[in-house]
Amino acid sequence: MKHEISEKQGASVVAFTGEVDLESSPVAREILLKCLDSTSKVIVDLSEVTYIDSSGVASLVEALQAAKKNGSQFALAAVSEPTRRVLELARLDKVFTLYDSVDEGLNA
Amino acid sequence: MNNTSPDKDRRDPRRFDRRKSTNVSGHLELLSKMSGHLAVTLNIEETIQKALDLIVQFVKAEGGALFLINDQDDSLVCKASAGPVDIRGIALQAGEGIVGQCVAENSSRIVRDVQQDPNFDHSVDDATGFQTRSILCAPMTVHTEKIGAIELVNKHNASVLFSDMDLLMLQTLASAAALAIHNAHMAEDLVEQERLSRELELAAEMQRSLLPAPRPAPFPVHGINLPAYEMSGDFYDFFDLNDGRIYFSLGDVSGKGMDAALLMSKTSSLFRCLGKTLHEPDVLLATINRELCETAIHGMFVTMTCGLLDPATGEVQLANAGHEPPLLHARDGSFTPVPASAPPLGIMSLVAGNGGIRNETFNLDGGTLYIFTDGVTEGDLKDGSQLGIEGFKKIIRERLDLPVAERIATITSVLGNTGGKRHDDITLIAIDSSTPCLKENIRDNQAAMIVRHTFAARADELQAVREVVSKACDDCGCPRSMATDIIIAVGEACQNVVRHAYKGIEEGKATLEIVCKDGIIQFNLQDSAPPVDPEKMKPKWPEELGPGGLGICLIHDIMDKVEYLPVHSGQGNLLRMVKFIERTN
Repeated sequence: MKHEISEKQGASVVAFTGEVDLESSPVAREILLKCLDSTSKVIVDLSEVTYIDSSGVASLVEALQAAKKNGSQFALAAVSEPTRRVLELARLDKVFTLYDSVDEGLNA
Repeated sequence: MNNTSPDKDRRDPRRFDRRKSTNVSGHLELLSKMSGHLAVTLNIEETIQKALDLIVQFVKAEGGALFLINDQDDSLVCKASAGPVDIRGIALQAGEGIVGQCVAENSSRIVRDVQQDPNFDHSVDDATGFQTRSILCAPMTVHTEKIGAIELVNKHNASVLFSDMDLLMLQTLASAAALAIHNAHMAEDLVEQERLSRELELAAEMQRSLLPAPRPAPFPVHGINLPAYEMSGDFYDFFDLNDGRIYFSLGDVSGKGMDAALLMSKTSSLFRCLGKTLHEPDVLLATINRELCETAIHGMFVTMTCGLLDPATGEVQLANAGHEPPLLHARDGSFTPVPASAPPLGIMSLVAGNGGIRNETFNLDGGTLYIFTDGVTEGDLKDGSQLGIEGFKKIIRERLDLPVAERIATITSVLGNTGGKRHDDITLIAIDSSTPCLKENIRDNQAAMIVRHTFAARADELQAVREVVSKACDDCGCPRSMATDIIIAVGEACQNVVRHAYKGIEEGKATLEIVCKDGIIQFNLQDSAPPVDPEKMKPKWPEELGPGGLGICLIHDIMDKVEYLPVHSGQGNLLRMVKFIERTN
């Protein structure tokens, strides 16, 4: 897994690429929580995620819970097909705010 | 009353009685003394020496010897000696000398003056310098059994010779001594019997310990051995191989005595020892045969069946050397015998393969294979008839509801409770494939695609595992969308092994086996971590997801069948996940 963080319109955009699995999910978790500490809006670009497992999903869930606690916004954007499948299977696709693209999320 | 009769003294009943009573009481006293002495000892050497000493003392003889018959050649050997010359160990041929004649004719002898007797053998006197003047000899017999004789030599008082009274005394005492010796012999036999029976008990215990400990279902092999006597000439055994297969065997040694039991111990040890390295049943039997032939005991042989079961596939490789054909009871209820391809072991040289001992390969396919000795089929029922092969099949059919271990116990209890003595050992093993281990089996694994991937239970190994799964899914024609799901499910299962089974403490290994055949793809994930509770591995939807809970839900959602199976070695966990490719299509 690789990641890239950018600041756009006052929000943090975190883009993950590759596989978010047991090996890399602790890194993903740390990045997301750190961003939520510094900004009140975090959008996660999942377009380039080829695989995500339950530990990766758990990192996303934890970030969502932290955002709700702080009154911050946390959304997923451009969710890749493999990621969408896991979210569906986990019945979490309705729990997250999903945008078709990062831009859509920024403008929302 | 006429008190002046010249015969008065002689005929006086009181005087006569007194004299007689003196003799009798002395006689009785000696007998009681002798019995007392003899009762406290069961040692035969001690018994006869004491008996002789007492007799010599009572009859006031200068010396004496006690001869016993040697069972081997009927010669008479001096076992106890009293007096100035010790002649113990001297042996006389049957019928030789005064002692020999006395025993042969079972009659007593008195030789008042040996110098007048032509039968007297001077050789002992010449050799020892002893001078024999007068001899008494009485045979020792109990009922009709000849035991030996007691000979007394010379009255103590050199001027007196033995009298008829002395002979009568010796005859009586010899009878008592004979009885004492006979009893001592019996006591010795009893002690010996007791020792033998103790030894037999120990040997039987030792032999029982050679049988494998029973293992609960779903372990597929179960056995029973019921010896007819203390020791058994039958045996069975089974053990795991490292590759997950199970070696099993059953044998019957000709004969039923201790010799059969010892040969049984040898053969079963050879099986266990050689089976660890020879993973071809026919080669194993040929090798055991060579060993048995090398140290052949004339006329003894072993009928033996052994085989390998792959519990993952239900496939059995079976080799049979002269043994009663095992019966395969198929799922459809039919029975098929698997006949022997070779004569029994221990008779002639045999090769493995064609022309010798052959492997038969077949799949249990949910059925059960029964291997038994003729003690089962020739076992007596309550009405005195034999169980027979049809009776055996009948019990199996009737007791299909029972777990296989109880089913075979039923057979032995039918044969074991007839009240009469059994003639033969009853030995039976069942190799069962109706246990969960073999369900969802994929038959004919030669045509099935099998991938085995062993990996260290670490997070950084999981990507490689996913690649293996992905390729296997492609190879067996899974649609891509299904493959994606399968990768998720298997990935989660592997992740659980890494995170939970080994609890991150110990770096263990896990093996993923992928079998694909007939539109079914099956994933067997095995670790050697401490067993997890399958109850805790059930999916919980939707809110109460703990760590790992989501993964389990994903596995159950994606796969058509998920089960935790017991591991044969007792160590580790085996998770089986099955996906039907065709049905979904």
